[in-house]
Amino acid sequence: MISFLAFSVRRAWQGFWRNAAMSLAATATMTLMLLLLAGFWIVQAGLLAGLEFVEQKVQVVADLNDGTSQAAVQSLEGHLLAMPEVRDVSYVSKDEALARFRAERVNQGQDDLTQYLNANPLPASLEVSLRNASDYGPVSDLLQSDPNVARVKNIADLANRVVTVTDFLRTGGIVLLGIVGAIVLFIIINAIRLAVLGRAEEIEVMRLVGASDAFIRWPFVFEGALVGLLGAILTVAILAAVADPLSNFMYDFFRILPIRVGSISRDVAMLVFGTGLGLGVLGAWVSVRTYLIR
Amino acid sequence: MPAIGVNQTGRAAARLDRSAETSLTLAPFRNRRSADAPDGRDGAPADGSTGDGTSSSLDSRGGTARAAARRRPVLILNNVTKTFPNGRSALREVDLVVPEGDFVFLVGPSGAGKSTLTKLLIRDELATEGQVILDGDDLARLPRRKVPHVRRKVGIVFQDYKLLPTKTVRENVAFALEVTGTPRRRIGPAVDRVLALVGLTAQADQYPNQLSGGESQRTAIARALVHDPRIVIADEPTGNLDPLISWEILQLLLRINELGVTVLMATHDAEVVTALRKRVVALEEGRVVRDEVGGGYHRTT
Repeated sequence: MISFLAFSVRRAWQGFWRNAAMSLAATATMTLMLLLLAGFWIVQAGLLAGLEFVEQKVQVVADLNDGTSQAAVQSLEGHLLAMPEVRDVSYVSKDEALARFRAERVNQGQDDLTQYLNANPLPASLEVSLRNASDYGPVSDLLQSDPNVARVKNIADLANRVVTVTDFLRTGGIVLLGIVGAIVLFIIINAIRLAVLGRAEEIEVMRLVGASDAFIRWPFVFEGALVGLLGAILTVAILAAVADPLSNFMYDFFRILPIRVGSISRDVAMLVFGTGLGLGVLGAWVSVRTYLIR
Repeated sequence: MPAIGVNQTGRAAARLDRSAETSLTLAPFRNRRSADAPDGRDGAPADGSTGDGTSSSLDSRGGTARAAARRRPVLILNNVTKTFPNGRSALREVDLVVPEGDFVFLVGPSGAGKSTLTKLLIRDELATEGQVILDGDDLARLPRRKVPHVRRKVGIVFQDYKLLPTKTVRENVAFALEVTGTPRRRIGPAVDRVLALVGLTAQADQYPNQLSGGESQRTAIARALVHDPRIVIADEPTGNLDPLISWEILQLLLRINELGVTVLMATHDAEVVTALRKRVVALEEGRVVRDEVGGGYHRTT
């Protein structure tokens, strides 16, 4: 068994280098396709993060009656936080609301008219952010039934639109990634197939002298794995080389988005190695199968 | 491989052989080696005294037909018909028995079914009807995983040699053993032995594109022999060679036959067939139209 493994690995290594042109062409194809796949994966991760970011902006805002006690507010907050749909609740006091309003006016370059008021007309409010933008219904209902709540801003329309758009983009992203994945699959398998076809003569001789299926198949499978591994290493190296300049360039983008670069690069590395090895092995397996004993 | 002295007894020769080389089961070669001795033309006395208990006691040089009945058949075709999916019949009701140690010419025009017959013997194709029995195995009933083992009992030589261009002569021959899981330490001696037998020791490290046609074919024969096959099937081995080299290849095949290996040679070479007066099986449109010992290429009657 060990000598068989050693034989297969040795033959795979020889096969790779003795047909260097074909093997390197397959490796180059593998690398390009893995880069394409990794690129789309990263774009997809960015898209998902962006959509999540947009959805987080959908909040249920409830204005509170003036004079609502701190205890009542806390109790309401407690109820809201207990709901599974709720991600976070923040209390905006009357003073904060006024400060925000003033800042907004200044930002828009308009006069701050509130200085002429002798009382703060703005209500305190609770801003409830949701785990999922489409789940505003129960939260809105709870707030409306509370006696301290003056009114709940109707966000049904906004929420539905945002969810429609984000769902569409999400589905589109997944479909696109699926298509790219399929293209990558076929191109890589074909590249490996070509490399195996170039060795048809060798396989023919192996068959004629009575090599068993395992002895014909495994060296090619290992060779496919070698192509996959090499392609994956090259791909990860290229990605690592461009990662720094790219993330500097996109720093602002990453800063806004709820995106974790660490987990993405881990995912991408796993994707690249898994796809490279998997498709290398699969491609070799199906290509050699044609030649085995019928 | 140094020639073994004629004055030695067969037993001593066999022992010397074994000590000189790591033993691979090349029993027929080893037993027959003494027949190679310069004036041991017959070889029978030496063989008789080896006592190795192998099937070497037949004298392949004479009385083929007489001995045929007594010898174990290596190959039996029993009413074999091969029809391809497109409806073309390549072989029709072919009966053929090849006893161990025989030398058989398979003749017939192109398209007569010679190549199909070759493919049936290595179970590249299965007979549509009838049985193909090789060394006791019915190929149609053979489980898939045993097919490689049967192929190792058959050495095949093709007109176009089928050598691998990226490997040297030695590597081409060793390849047949490597891919069938032979331990490495046994490969070297076995390869050296067959290369010596076909006379290519000096060319062992050359690549196929450095070889002449005759040397290429001898390499292919060495590769076919390295497994110690029960039968060597040569599919027009001299088809690409000039007459002189063809004779060389034929001499080599005859010598291998003398060493106890059954040889089945498909050929168009009328001169060779007629001159040698061996058993001739003629195929025409998939049928055996003639099977005679000592026949010529063409019908003699």
